Amino acid sequence: MMIRKLSLLAGLSLLAFSGGAFADTVRVTIAEYSKGTGPYFEEAAKAFEAANPDTKIQIEVVPWDSLQQKLTTDISAGANADLSIIGTRWLLDYVKEGIIAPLDGNITPDFKARFIDTFLTPSVMDGKVYGLPIAASARAMYYNKDIFAKAGIDTPPATWADFKTSAEKIKALGTETYGFGLQGKEIETDVYFYYGLWANGGEIVKDGKSGLDSKAAIDTATLYKSFIDGGLTQPGVTSYSREDVQNLFKQGKVATVITAPFLSGQIKTEAPNLNYGVAPIPAGPDGGKGTYGVTDSIVLFENSKNKEAAWKFLDFLFTTEQRTKFDKIEGFLPVNAEEAKDPYFADNADLKVFTNLLPNARFAPVIPGWEDIAQTTSNAIQKIYLGQGEIEPTLKEAAAKINETLK
Amino acid sequence: MQRASVPYFLILPSFLLAAVIILWPLKEIVSLSLHDVNRFGMLKDFIGLEHYRSLFANPDFIAATWRTLFWTAAVVIGTLIVSVPIALILNEDFYGRGIARILIMLPWAISLTMTAIVWRWALNGESGMLNSALRDLGIINTNIQWLAEASTAFPMQILIGILVSVPFTVTIFLGGLSSVPEDLYEAAATEGAGRWDQFRLITLPLLKPFINIAFVLNTIYVFNSFPIIWATTQGGPANSTDILVTYLYKTAFRMGRLGEAAAVSLIMFAILIIFTILYVRLAMREEKQ
Repeated sequence: MMIRKLSLLAGLSLLAFSGGAFADTVRVTIAEYSKGTGPYFEEAAKAFEAANPDTKIQIEVVPWDSLQQKLTTDISAGANADLSIIGTRWLLDYVKEGIIAPLDGNITPDFKARFIDTFLTPSVMDGKVYGLPIAASARAMYYNKDIFAKAGIDTPPATWADFKTSAEKIKALGTETYGFGLQGKEIETDVYFYYGLWANGGEIVKDGKSGLDSKAAIDTATLYKSFIDGGLTQPGVTSYSREDVQNLFKQGKVATVITAPFLSGQIKTEAPNLNYGVAPIPAGPDGGKGTYGVTDSIVLFENSKNKEAAWKFLDFLFTTEQRTKFDKIEGFLPVNAEEAKDPYFADNADLKVFTNLLPNARFAPVIPGWEDIAQTTSNAIQKIYLGQGEIEPTLKEAAAKINETLK
Repeated sequence: MQRASVPYFLILPSFLLAAVIILWPLKEIVSLSLHDVNRFGMLKDFIGLEHYRSLFANPDFIAATWRTLFWTAAVVIGTLIVSVPIALILNEDFYGRGIARILIMLPWAISLTMTAIVWRWALNGESGMLNSALRDLGIINTNIQWLAEASTAFPMQILIGILVSVPFTVTIFLGGLSSVPEDLYEAAATEGAGRWDQFRLITLPLLKPFINIAFVLNTIYVFNSFPIIWATTQGGPANSTDILVTYLYKTAFRMGRLGEAAAVSLIMFAILIIFTILYVRLAMREEKQ
């Protein structure tokens, strides 16, 4: 009996082995956005394999924070997957090294028409499509309606000047609640600064030069610093990462936070009684507006041996059905035009604010060394927030350093 | 086969193994540090010592180096000072000693990263346990933003560092203490030596080799310790709590400057080797006297 079982097992494993050798295996590296990410992709892979029995999809889930490290190590060892999710802001660094395969050969006009243009554009470089937007997001201002009502404010602030008045009223309540939840630590500290920069009419990079020494940047730093010094933000902003500020918002300790659509979903499960609204990011004195748009791309590596099979899987992932499923799980914005018509997205008041902001969305500029620039910017504004650097010289020094990177 | 060459043949296999595991990567890193390297580790032009030159011209790197030395010295010496009395107490026979030993050893059982993350929560300015405890005790009446700036964040990180190094060090000392024969103390007591003299003249000298080994091992661990600083501040704000490992990680995997990162790791390696050799020689010279 035992022997029969064993030989059966051996036969099976032999079968599996030969199966592996003949069928195409497509390896996919996936960034874990939430605990739903892995299960979604496993399920999608199974559905795809059922329809394409001679292709095997192998999903590798990596925490978002270590994605860049894994890709770097895998690629330098030549052990990278066929497909991978990457931050679109890193894409240029990869394309420059010739590691990513352009997808134009496979993209038909029909396929292209599936996408909302705004989201596909960031992955286009030198007229070639190097990635497809697997995740899309934008930023808007969440505000706590109860705190605003208590302070006698009826509407979310339309301009930064309004915002400051509102924050002062909230401070006057004397309840240790703060008007402006300001992020000052870790990833996207720089982005939090750009919201004000764009409102003041500034740019991150203009004509190949850093915009950090512009008048708009100096005005923004002065504005944010006046919020901090006036006690209108939570104290010790440099110890609050994005998640920390979101948590303060959920606890009702700050009245506003600027962040992505997924916070709605978190509030629903973690703080269901929070009475909040979503509004555009305040405008500048001359009506300047801007939100940060982010996409992550899924890319095909140049050294992939199964480009055809990999493409088929991509095609499958970007069908309306699959996209709708994924974006609902993750709380991302729809990237397919058809998908956006789904009542889940079309009738969602919170999401509508985000989609309406898209015409003003700025994406990370296509420049080399984006992470380097983000780090320099974050360091400079942290110094300003802490009062360890004079505003103008600190920004000028950072701008000079960034111009060095941009060369 | 000649007798004299036998030992060399016998260690050959392990030497080869060590060479493959240590020397080959070392050679790779040296070559990375001397070349222009792209984000994915592909070598481009040979540029000699250019990476080293730019590192030594970078104030953030210099500051991180000094901070690393300070961090290592503070945590290691702090740990030794705290661990000796703890080990002495735990070596005494008292009711509940087993539980006390377990309590001291417990932090060791938890992964360093987990401990650091728990501390990150505890040190949170608005909802952290430490602030609410201090407020309840009436010690402070406004929240302290522990991680907002280096002046409060770095001392806390050193304290966490000491806390997690104590169990290992105490274990070494307990081993050392159990080898001190009881009758030495009895003899000293009959000669009229007090507790302090017994400690100074018997315990400390006999514990010396164990202190030495704890010192060297802790130095190596702490110098290279990444999780505490990374989980609490990621070396921020504005690089003000960076030590060399966190600086290295950022340079390599955030900025993608692998060549420069290789240079940093070689400098770290050199510092550690020089330090260890110096210390071992000092310790051995003392032992001979």
